[in-house]
Amino acid sequence: MLRIITCFKWVVDQADIKTAPGSRELALERAAYRISDYDRFAIEEAVTLQEQYGGSTAAITVGTPAARKSLKDVLSRGPEKAYFVNDPSFDNLEPSQTSSILASAIRTGLEYDLIICGEGSGDLYAQQVGPRLAEALDIPCTTCVSKLTIYGHQLIAERKLEDGIEVVTIPLPALITVLPEINTPRIPGLKDTLAASKKPVIEITAADLGQSFEPCLQTVSILAATMERSGVKFTSEPGDITKFVDAILKTGAIG
Amino acid sequence: MAGVWILAESRSQTLELLNVAVGLADKLGTQVTAFLYGDSQLAQEYIAHGADQVLILPPLTEEQPLEDYVPVIAAEARQEDPDIFLLAATTRLKEMAARIAARLNTGLCSSCTALKFDETGKVLVMERLVFGGAALQTVTCRTRPQMATIAPRTFTPATPVADRKGQIRELPSPPPGLVKINKRKPKTRQSGDITEAKVLVCVGRGIEQEQDMALARDLAEVIGGELACTRPIAEELHWLPEETYIGLSGQQVKPDLYIGIGISGQIQHVTGIRDSRLICAINRDENADIFGMSDYGIVGDLYSVLPELTRQLKQALKK
Repeated sequence: MLRIITCFKWVVDQADIKTAPGSRELALERAAYRISDYDRFAIEEAVTLQEQYGGSTAAITVGTPAARKSLKDVLSRGPEKAYFVNDPSFDNLEPSQTSSILASAIRTGLEYDLIICGEGSGDLYAQQVGPRLAEALDIPCTTCVSKLTIYGHQLIAERKLEDGIEVVTIPLPALITVLPEINTPRIPGLKDTLAASKKPVIEITAADLGQSFEPCLQTVSILAATMERSGVKFTSEPGDITKFVDAILKTGAIG
Repeated sequence: MAGVWILAESRSQTLELLNVAVGLADKLGTQVTAFLYGDSQLAQEYIAHGADQVLILPPLTEEQPLEDYVPVIAAEARQEDPDIFLLAATTRLKEMAARIAARLNTGLCSSCTALKFDETGKVLVMERLVFGGAALQTVTCRTRPQMATIAPRTFTPATPVADRKGQIRELPSPPPGLVKINKRKPKTRQSGDITEAKVLVCVGRGIEQEQDMALARDLAEVIGGELACTRPIAEELHWLPEETYIGLSGQQVKPDLYIGIGISGQIQHVTGIRDSRLICAINRDENADIFGMSDYGIVGDLYSVLPELTRQLKQALKK
């Protein structure tokens, strides 16, 4: 029986990232949050494996109490319970903190054979929490997995690298991070949403972990990235296309 | 020996990191150490390009992944206490950097796009993109070593200096870890290298059928460009090889000319083209985000615009 933990993050919806007029300051007060897109593939992979091999799937997230809204959403995607590691101070965490908090929470007695994370988070995309968590738990890991098979007490993973595919074997317990191409996450239906509200949520607070988590990285600022371009638009009339061609040729970029 | 350390997967990546490392080491009044595995002939070349010390990582067995070097490198770092450790942001090294940082209890700036040394605070001030490329995060690292991964081609390579001297030292062989390689399937390159191309024609979901790719191909041929695409075209539709998709998780490109066809301009894609010299776009939706990031755009149906544009460009370039 395969006991799986899938980690996810509740992140600002990128569609809601706006800047105040005439400023590079981000205005996120009214932004909606969602389960990080990359983590949806991790959740789906966990649930699919459980269907295939039996066992259990638990989801875990770290955040402020405001991330409570993520729990019903994640549970509607298939995991049978959720661990909610929360504290008002768990805000704007950097990867070394998130991974230490997750490790500390998992060590409170969560049982697992396999931990699955997304390739990175939808907001910071630092791609560190998976491998850092594996180190903290002292288990083997591999990242950017595009295909996964469980074979007895080991997993076989295809990793996608710049120079090709590497097929690796890892004994369980282990941690992997998965790429979006590994599966197609199902869309929860009404029945799944109703079932989600009956599933257990286990809360773990900062006090339960009995230690503090200091950041190693300090954020100096987060400002909108600027892309200043002239933005001249032409119509699709042949005469206008000629102007477009002339404009390109004048820059000397081709020809 | 403290100092600035670098680790990359290839010679060209190493030379780029050496360029950054030498500048930082000058300001810190310290030395540069480069790791090397594989071809030990490169040690002298790295020294000529600015390394004061080259640490040779002994060969791995067939079934050992590169990540098996993590304990050896972390142990060396614990002993030598480097000030700064920079790694190339490849898939393998991003994992290794995170694991080494975890072992050293230090911070890591992932996929750093720019860095400078702050003389007063004596810290690295590092920039990276967040929110899919919509925002720029500036970070400093409070712990030692200050670590960052840097994408290949972010910096120019170091230039060699004649008669530079440096030390070469071999590190202990890494014991086999728990992750074993069964098989390697090297990538067969199916197309030109889009990161080297001067001109790119990039297609997005506005192209309705695979056969319509011919319209983009014709344009690329006339202007001497390579074909590139957005993530869904490569990963979901498989109309082009995966090494041709541009974006946050794909290739970063810097052509002289980029023409985006049927591309809405999602931030994850646009992040990969931001350093292009000239950005042009064709899209039927005049409110498409891509126009806000373009120098020149045509608002129109690509099925009528492309044949006419290709015809006119062919004529204009023939003279």
